[in-house]
Amino acid sequence: MHDSGFTQLEEVIQDPLFPEVDLALRAGRHIDRDDGERYAFVLDAQSLLEAFYRRFGCELVHASDGFFYLLPVGDRMGRRQLTAGEMLVGQTLALVYLEPTTVQAGGVTQQSVVVARLASLVGERDLIQALNPRRRKYDERIAQETVRMEIAKALRGLESLGFIDLGEGDQVRLRLGLFRFAEAVRGLGDPAGALARVIAEGKAVAETAGDADDEEGGA
Amino acid sequence: METPERDESLRVIASIHRDGIGLDVKPVDLCFLIALHARASQNNLTCFEEDVLLDVFEQVCEAVDSDGEPLRKRATHAIQRLREQRLLSRVDGAGIVRAGDYSMTRLASSIVEFFMADQALTRESLSLLTKALLVSLAQVRSEAKKAQTADDWRVSVVGPLRVTVGDLVAGIERRQRGLDVQQEGVRQQIGQLLDADWFSALDRCQLLLDDTTTTLSELNSVLLHDAHQILAVLSDIEQAAAQARMAEAEEAAQRVAEQVDRVAAWGRTRQSAWSDYYQYVHRYLRDVVRLDPSRALSERLRNQLAGWTTQPFYWVVAQASKVRVLRESVVRAHRPPVVRPAQDRETPLEHVPSDSEAVALEELVRAALASGKSRLSDVLDVVLPQIDAAKRFAAVGRIGAQVAVETAARSDRDRPWVRVPEDIQVEDWNLPGGRPHA
Repeated sequence: MHDSGFTQLEEVIQDPLFPEVDLALRAGRHIDRDDGERYAFVLDAQSLLEAFYRRFGCELVHASDGFFYLLPVGDRMGRRQLTAGEMLVGQTLALVYLEPTTVQAGGVTQQSVVVARLASLVGERDLIQALNPRRRKYDERIAQETVRMEIAKALRGLESLGFIDLGEGDQVRLRLGLFRFAEAVRGLGDPAGALARVIAEGKAVAETAGDADDEEGGA
Repeated sequence: METPERDESLRVIASIHRDGIGLDVKPVDLCFLIALHARASQNNLTCFEEDVLLDVFEQVCEAVDSDGEPLRKRATHAIQRLREQRLLSRVDGAGIVRAGDYSMTRLASSIVEFFMADQALTRESLSLLTKALLVSLAQVRSEAKKAQTADDWRVSVVGPLRVTVGDLVAGIERRQRGLDVQQEGVRQQIGQLLDADWFSALDRCQLLLDDTTTTLSELNSVLLHDAHQILAVLSDIEQAAAQARMAEAEEAAQRVAEQVDRVAAWGRTRQSAWSDYYQYVHRYLRDVVRLDPSRALSERLRNQLAGWTTQPFYWVVAQASKVRVLRESVVRAHRPPVVRPAQDRETPLEHVPSDSEAVALEELVRAALASGKSRLSDVLDVVLPQIDAAKRFAAVGRIGAQVAVETAARSDRDRPWVRVPEDIQVEDWNLPGGRPHA
């Protein structure tokens, strides 16, 4: 167990929790209150860790919703941008999180609900196009199967980033990190302006999905 | 090893499956049962005459379901359905002599109780039940100390443990299930309140959460305290039974102890589960409802998602490459390649003796023809006796073929059939003049 406050970086690094927290943050994971002692550790060592990661060209972001993540702002740390599937599914999950019906289930929803909501909000045709960007002509059955596969892949990706937990069957437990998908529409100002702001801050990029999929970096 | 209870449950399962027993209680039947239960309570009835059944059914139909079908006919069908499903039983035994008396079965009473009785566990009901349980157990313990004979143990210890104490613990468990249903209702209510009133529902949701939290916390503390005492008394009884070598009493005490453990575990798990739910809802109320009183965030997020395909953007996350761990070097032992031993794959030729019998047969036929035989039957008469008896039938064909080739064989208009050796009949040919063989 770590003490309630750290005075030196050495104490933080010596803490048994440091390796797993460090690896998780570098892998892009969002650490929220549900992570218990790992969240508490980052919270206690926040100022020291911020300075520590700044040296790697990263910013340790503490969102007001109660989660941490590492944002690469230079070239020293590898980075990636979420795929189109992860973006679409992530936004849908954030929307589901906000719904009162999810409260009844204690923050748990089903994958089938997510797929249905996504299709109804984006439109089946646009969804197929967004998740099969390189295909001009497609067979409907194959395209729908590809969409389902892309959504399943996106859910796994979001789980590895700490946005959700996948449970038994098709259960999905929603986590606080999902509020990141609502960051651009948090304020009451112009959404386009807010989006431009987060892009300028390096939190997001506005590139085509094809480019996004291809881009990968290394530390 | 199978326990008797497990044996019994398997037997029941098998018999239900075999007999195809099922329950199909229609809403009107359910209302009918509840109305019967109410009538019995009001008038202190232990059974119902047929007229009473019809009267109650009529009242139910007037209140909830006024279908066009004649009431009496519907009542008859309803009574029949309930009897077939063992919810209503005829108790008078008069048969065809007069109209019967009916009573609700235990199954029907349980169904009615589920819908009617407030069986949720409260601090008062739990304290009352655990105190009654402690008193009963203390009595059983003192009887166990005094018991001398096996009959004493059976009557004063085993019986009370199985019936009185067992029923009290089962009563607690039943109320626990009632509280589970109540909690599910609270969750549903919170969702509905938020859906309907959103920000205005904050206080009511908080109240519902706090009420259930308080109830669970109180119940858990009562359970923790009393379960400890109950288990201590049960341990004394079990010990006394073991000393007296009364396996049946020992087993009955163990069974109750298991039930009490289960009751205590329920308290712990429910409180833990509710605690998680409480934290989640509390956070939701604070972070979502309070910060977004007009639900504008949902609306803006919905618009963002709907327009994302036309104006896509992607969040950036860290992705440090994994540290490459080199594999430890190991000296590999030389493993020669797997080969097959060299061998000559050409199969050597075999010497097979030629068919001398066929040559010999040809020679015999030629000899017969050379001796001037002018009919096929004559040739056969000469040749066949010189051949192995088993091969004669087949040889006739070969001889015929050779004769046809080597002579100018002719057949009469009336083709004569001639008997030759081995009781074979052939169509005889003339071999006029013969023909020198090649």
